Amino acid sequence: MFGLVAAWQLIAPDLGRDVAWLGWGRVRYAHTQGIMLGWLANAFFAFLYHAVPILTGRPVTSARLGVWIFALWNLAVMAPGWVLVLAGVSQPLEWAEFPLVVDVVAVLALALAAVQFLPGFFRRGIESLYVSSWYIIGGLVFTLLSYPMGNVVPEFLPGAAGAAISGLWIHDAVGLFVTPMALAILYFVIPASTGRPVFSHFLSMLGFWLLFFLYPLNGTHHYVYSVIPMAAQLTAIVASALLGVTVVIVVTNLFLSMRGAGLLPKDPALRFVGTGTFFYVIVSLQGSAQAQMAVNETVHFTDWVVAHSHMAMLGFASFAAAGGLVHAWQRMPEARYNATAITWAYWMLVVGLVGMVVDLTIGGLVQGELWKSGAPWIDSVTASRVYWVARAHIGSILAAGFIALLVGLTTGPRGAGMSVRPAPSTDGRDEVAPRLAPATEAL
Amino acid sequence: MSRAGQALRTSYLVASVAGVLFFALSVALLGVWPARLLDQQTAAMAPEKPLEPTTSEKRGRAVYAREGCAYCHTQQIRYLHADMSRFGAPTLAWETRRDTPHLWGTRRIGPDLSRVGGTRSLDWQYAHLYAPRAMVAASVMPGYPALFDGAPDRPRQEARDLVAYLDALGRARELAGPEGESRARAGCNCPDDEMQQMAFEGPLNAHPARAIRTPDAAPALAGGDLERGQALYGRHCATCHGTTGAGDGPGARYLAPAPAKLAEHAYATARLADVLWHGVAGSAMPAWRDYSTEDRAALALAVQALSAPRPEPEVPAHLVTLGREVYAANCAQCHGVDGDGRGSAAGKLTMAPANFTAQRLSLTEAVRVLREGVHGSPMAPWTTRLTDAERLAAAHYVRSLFRAAPPAMVGR
Repeated sequence: MFGLVAAWQLIAPDLGRDVAWLGWGRVRYAHTQGIMLGWLANAFFAFLYHAVPILTGRPVTSARLGVWIFALWNLAVMAPGWVLVLAGVSQPLEWAEFPLVVDVVAVLALALAAVQFLPGFFRRGIESLYVSSWYIIGGLVFTLLSYPMGNVVPEFLPGAAGAAISGLWIHDAVGLFVTPMALAILYFVIPASTGRPVFSHFLSMLGFWLLFFLYPLNGTHHYVYSVIPMAAQLTAIVASALLGVTVVIVVTNLFLSMRGAGLLPKDPALRFVGTGTFFYVIVSLQGSAQAQMAVNETVHFTDWVVAHSHMAMLGFASFAAAGGLVHAWQRMPEARYNATAITWAYWMLVVGLVGMVVDLTIGGLVQGELWKSGAPWIDSVTASRVYWVARAHIGSILAAGFIALLVGLTTGPRGAGMSVRPAPSTDGRDEVAPRLAPATEAL
Repeated sequence: MSRAGQALRTSYLVASVAGVLFFALSVALLGVWPARLLDQQTAAMAPEKPLEPTTSEKRGRAVYAREGCAYCHTQQIRYLHADMSRFGAPTLAWETRRDTPHLWGTRRIGPDLSRVGGTRSLDWQYAHLYAPRAMVAASVMPGYPALFDGAPDRPRQEARDLVAYLDALGRARELAGPEGESRARAGCNCPDDEMQQMAFEGPLNAHPARAIRTPDAAPALAGGDLERGQALYGRHCATCHGTTGAGDGPGARYLAPAPAKLAEHAYATARLADVLWHGVAGSAMPAWRDYSTEDRAALALAVQALSAPRPEPEVPAHLVTLGREVYAANCAQCHGVDGDGRGSAAGKLTMAPANFTAQRLSLTEAVRVLREGVHGSPMAPWTTRLTDAERLAAAHYVRSLFRAAPPAMVGR
């Protein structure tokens, strides 16, 4: 919603002119934090409550702790974060806009989430952990490390040095929090839905470790051609290229695990998840490409990058999150479920996302070329208008898609999700857990 | 437990430790180590006593951060010729040493602001902050009326701070001067590093709109497409000069000196070439160096077309001599003996005096200026020093100095 307001303000800049808290910059702050912490983090936590007991074979640490985490996250992080940012108390740091006081609570909540979800995994013994478990452990542990690094440190470091750390966080937020959680969902939902184990546990673990080794080394690619030492820039550029290779390994494994399900799987959860996998490989290869100096020179600072981040956060992460939620809803007899709305949500999100990415990518190329041509600056603004108008309308489709998703998960008959569940597997059991065990003996 | 299981367990443990180490490595390699290098660079390359931000500038910086200005305006000029030719020298580490937290930005919807200080006049900045489209018709920037008391000329403290901050951007390096640049060059100690050398190439501030006061001649303009010029005028000039050239655009009332009433002036093409290339330093009139020669020629034609030729009024004989005397006694110090704007006092003024050989005001406008002066410029009202008749005579006289194609049109 904040994104939609910001998009409309770019084409109708006097919108909300007399309301200070609706200033474009503040709305933009609220938008990024809302998507990452408000939507994705909440969706991930919800999915963990479904997945962790299955993966560990025992309940999460404490139901009361769960209430606390929920309350902390939504009433002490999101609500005050939004209010403070709109009121003008914020940090001018991308993906870290909530002020320090909120950061403290967020780290506390993340620590509690680690206590809530992680102990079961360690009791089970790490040699028998399924890859989703690894991603969940990795995501929660590394976010605990990177969140304070990215949200607190740059607030106190000057100029170029602060930007270097900021760059790390911009990538760690995606790479060490959003990506692991989303991949945990993909690796969970795909075998559960197809009824077959993942294609290769070896590839899945290889991908896992490569991702965690390479992701943190990517951050400086946000400041190519800057005064930050060239060696650091080059390290990040090389790591970005290697990351692209790794993602191809991961996605190949995921797609091979899905074979037979068709291009448009019947199971809506698998459909969301498969589409998310597709966007994941596209956005990652795009990321590797745009980190290269020759490409970065033109597309950096343009809408191309905005398209890229939308594909990452909406295309990959949100489709994974939606798939995870639908999957969980299919297995809760008390959950309301509206199949029509879910179908609508899927198609509106696909159309909206593809439309926005194509639109802004072209817009970004136009901007980059105009800047290089030496044309007057305002020409790039005038030329962008058509893409911004399109984006604002496409944004409405996306927002409608999210509303449909909300409707799909909150209306309809209770337990209706159970009926759109994929048929039990050939062995007659619908137990998810056995399919998620790693094939230790396969080694 | 099987042997394979044990091996797996060990390798996972190793990998887990390695994973955490890799994260630590990333922070060390891409965060801590660059920060140390940048600190050394700052110590070696900064001027001996770099300019410190004032309290007002620091407060302005906080407003800039709070409103998310960095999400549309970067403050980082890259080591790329495309960036340098538009904004100026690449940002050095020491220039950002007081930027906590950094405001580098990752998206440019508006231009980079690293060197915007001195690029625009302060009254332009206020008017633009208050109502961006009153100054730049195609702008998509949000207005910030909340920083004002209802009008651009009534800024609150926050607006004053913000404008003070904007006007200081890039100033530290500018004021470090040639000594600062040579110190930086020596401190960099990188004669063979082509990329680092780019930091010292070209002009420090290359903003194409920055008004420059220089005797250098502007590229000559000839020909031009009137229709194109009129379209450009409507898009870029009418906001201040008004659609008919009456100086009554929406942005006009908050600028001092007020935008020229183009319809009341006849301009030599060379004068327009000069103004479009150099801007008018000391006023809000920017330069338009980023427009092609054809576009500027077209604009010059469009501006000339705003003042329709009218029958020249007869000058009564007694006013001719009186005018010459009044001019010599009162005006020549600034406007020059020949009216070329190069009087003995001209160089000391915040704004260059008008060059009457290259522009002719209408009689009514000349009389009005002599009576009212030009608010915001060194031109004072002459009602106490000159009688009505003397002012009328002087008005006639300065008009007679106009040469449509003066022999030597250098500067103003």
